Order: sequence, then C-alpha cells, then structure tokens
Amino acid sequence: MLEILFVSLLGSSFGIALGLLPGMHINNVIPLILSLSAFFNSPYLLAIFVVSTAITQIFVSYIPSIFLGAPEEGTSLAVLPGHRLLLEGRGYEAIKLTVIGSVGSLIFGIIVITLLKDVFGYVYEISRPYIHFCISGVAVFMILSEKKAKKILSASLVFALSGIFGVMVLNSSVLSSKNALFPILSGLFGLSLLVANTSEKSKIPSQQGDSRLNISKIEMIKSIFLGTVAGIMVGLLPAIGVSQAATLVQLGGGEGRNFLVTISGINVANEVFSLISLFLVGNPRSGASVAIQTILGELSGWDVVLLVGVICFTSGLAAVITLYLGKKIPKFLARLNYKMISISIILFVSSLVFILNGPAGILILLTAISIGLTANYLGIRKGHCMGCLLLPSIMFFAGLNPLIISILRI
Amino acid sequence: MDLKNNKLIIICFLSSLTGIALIYVAAIRMQPATIELKEINSNLVGKAVTTEGFITYKSSHPAGHFFLTISENDKKVQVPLFAGFMSELKKVGIGEKDFKSKARIVVTGTVDEYRGQLQIVPRKVEDIKIIRD
Repeated sequence: MLEILFVSLLGSSFGIALGLLPGMHINNVIPLILSLSAFFNSPYLLAIFVVSTAITQIFVSYIPSIFLGAPEEGTSLAVLPGHRLLLEGRGYEAIKLTVIGSVGSLIFGIIVITLLKDVFGYVYEISRPYIHFCISGVAVFMILSEKKAKKILSASLVFALSGIFGVMVLNSSVLSSKNALFPILSGLFGLSLLVANTSEKSKIPSQQGDSRLNISKIEMIKSIFLGTVAGIMVGLLPAIGVSQAATLVQLGGGEGRNFLVTISGINVANEVFSLISLFLVGNPRSGASVAIQTILGELSGWDVVLLVGVICFTSGLAAVITLYLGKKIPKFLARLNYKMISISIILFVSSLVFILNGPAGILILLTAISIGLTANYLGIRKGHCMGCLLLPSIMFFAGLNPLIISILRI
Repeated sequence: MDLKNNKLIIICFLSSLTGIALIYVAAIRMQPATIELKEINSNLVGKAVTTEGFITYKSSHPAGHFFLTISENDKKVQVPLFAGFMSELKKVGIGEKDFKSKARIVVTGTVDEYRGQLQIVPRKVEDIKIIRD
C-alpha cells in the first residue's frame, strides 16, 4: 500500500513537470518511462506511475496553455477563452474552471462507464465497419466550421498537407510508427506554436485575488455532462481527437467559461475511458493505455479497480496542486523572459527527437513545424493538423492502405 | 492578411512541401532490414523487416481477414492478412488456397505485438511472396 502511494506521488511529481513544460506530453516520454522498468519492483508499480503521470499532466497542462499560450493538442482550444480571462485579470478563475470540469467529469465519467460498461464493446464492434465514414464526417464538419470560404480553403489545404505527411511517415519505413508520433505531434502542435511565440511579446496583467466563479451551477453541470459524453466518445472511436470533439461542442454554442469546463471534461473523461478501454474493448485508445498494455498485457477487473483508485487519488492531488500553481505562477511569470523559455524548449525537444530518432526524426519534426506554422499564419484552427492521424485512419478503416502504399511504392 | 504574413505562409507552405518530398524520397529508397525469423522480438515492434518461414497454421475470419502463422526452428510469428489486403491480393490472382500448409513464404511488413503475440503485418501486395509449395 505504501509502495502504491509512493509511486503515485512520484508519478504525480513527474506529471507536474510534464504538464508545466510546454510542448511536452506523456506520449513523448513513454519510451523513457518503459525503459525505467528495472527500477520498479513490479509491473503494477510501473503501470501506477504511468497512470498518475498521465492524469496529473492533464490537470496541470492548462497552466502553460492559459498563462504561456503554449498548449498541447488536448488543451489547444482552451488557449483562447483561458487567455481572454487572463487578460481580464481572471486567470485563476480560468484554471479553477478547468479543475472543476476535470474533477466533475472524472466522477460523472466513472459512473457512466460503470453503468454502460457492457454496451461499449458492442458499440465498438458494430461501429468498426463504419468508422471511416464517421472520421470523414468529422473532418468535413471541422473544415466547414471555419465558415468563410477563404478559411475553408485554407483549412482544406492544411488538412490535406497534414494528411499526406501522416500517410508518408506512418506507412513508410523512414521511422517506426511508434517513434514517429513524437516528432509529428511535437512539431505540429507544440513547437510550431513556440516558434510563432518567439516573435511575439506577451505581458500578463495583475490578477484579481478573489476565487469567485462567474458561471451558473446549471451551466456548469451541463458543461460537465457534455465534456464527459464527448470525452467517452473520443476514447471509444479511433482517431477522433480531443480537439475534434471540442470543435464539435464549440459549434454547438459553447464558448468562454462553460467551454473551459467542457474541454477539461473531455480530456479527463477521454483519458479515464482510454485506460479502462483496455478492459472494456480490449484495445488501447491513448499513449498511456498503450504503455499499460505493454506493461500488464490484458487487464483483469481487479486491475481496473486498482487503476481507477489511483486515478481518483491522483486527480484529487492534481486538482489541489493545479489550483495552488494557478494562483502562484502568474506572479512569477512577470519576471521571466518568454522568448528565452520558448527557445530553450524548442532546443530541448529537438535534441530529444535527434537522440531518439536521428536525422530522420529531425526531418519529420521540421516538416511538422512548417505545417503547424502554415496553419498558424493562415489564421485557422490547429485542429486541422489532425489530418496527419485522420487521413491514415480513414485509409486504414476503408481498407485502402495496401492499394495506396502499392501506388506510392513506399 | 498583411504582406509579411503572406510571405510567411508561402515560406512555411513551401518548406512543408519540400519536407514531404524529402520524406517520400527517403521512404522509397529505404529498404526494410532482412532478418531471420528467430531474431524477431518485441524490440523490433514498429519497425519494417523482411523475413521468411514455413506456413504452419492458417485460419479465415468471417470478416474476410486471413491469418497465417509462419515458423522456422520452433520460432513462430503471426502474419495477419486483413480483408483490404486480401482483396488486393485477389486482384493479382492470389487467394487463400494459394497459401498451402508447409509452403515457404517471404514476408515484408511492420513488426507488431497483439495480445502478447508477435506479428508481421504486410502493407502492400508485393510484401508477400510464396517461394516454395
């Protein structure tokens, strides 16, 4: 028991560091974590370390997203409403809303998953033959949601570029698909934003000290409900990411404070479902769940109970830490040089890519940064860069992979 | 959209295209490593390899998938041929009946691990060659 608590705390500490570092995600360090298996007495302890790191990182990652404008994919759409509140001196309220959304969605998500556990496997099986239609529909809807013709054209261009890029990298022998995701996602979503940030100067205004929430209880419950349902759908359906689900929810009228609650709810419900999906549908649905599968193989019911217990414990801890940091960090940020932070992170991630993947990794990273920057300068949502995963998934589920790969001769 | 922004868009777009072109050139020039079946292990997961072995087990799935197990000196690896892949094979005149027991095949594909079992997943028709019945 003490070992479990200690490893959970260790994982949470690692999750805090990952969450605070812009451009970093647990997927980036899973190979590193798996290589540390010799330091853990049992595979269960390593699995607990992965789960506590993943959950804490989700909670804490809103801090760089909102305060530094440096999100990861799951929190990218939270930047705008969060930043707006920060510029009104309500940065702490923005963080508090994400914590409420995360904790609310965790509780509601566990209840929904427990009640509907027998349905998911069936839904997954019957939806599989139609998944490519579903993914294509989401992609088209996402592109059309830009509304103006010029932006729709730009979004189509970025989606196509990212899609072709994803097909080339993930279906060829240039890098193993397992290793290729790090440079792809870091470049498209993390480093491209930091590169753009280096040419901008931001200043945080003095923050209001109160912890009042300017959102009604009904709105909050509605947002938690929406976030949980959308998060579970993201976990269940392959290749539909948090940003796609958040875009759909946003199109349904959500914005501002309630959107912050919803997007944080989507992130947590998705991660919880992804971890439990190993048991429910026998398929890992996130980087962390792939790691758990590698460590533990097939999960038993008791394994799930243990992991859910760790998720609950770590979430409580992460919530308290995030609220504490959300109050303290803005004061420190005024003293830091944003440009230097961004440059240091760019150098750090690039070095990591080179060490793990060599020159091919750097080529992929630079291409991903270029595509991410194209989306930035075209003024469209970064979510369109998810074409890098969506197009290969559409091809795979439509059974087109052998034909396309033969034509391309890769 | 100002002039500076337009220039940045063009620069980023062109460098994206250049990057994709370079990755494509690297992809068509890069050949998977040829290794013996016994050398395939979980450290190779995600990597493309070429190997060969005898068909020791085969089974069909109602959804159109076809699963082979190839062996060499007691080492066994699964080769899943998914429905889309099987329909491409049929176009070049290869069907389930052509994969006879004890036939020797050369397979190129990505090493994967499914429920603790190592697999080689071929990606295109040219990745499977039946060399001896």
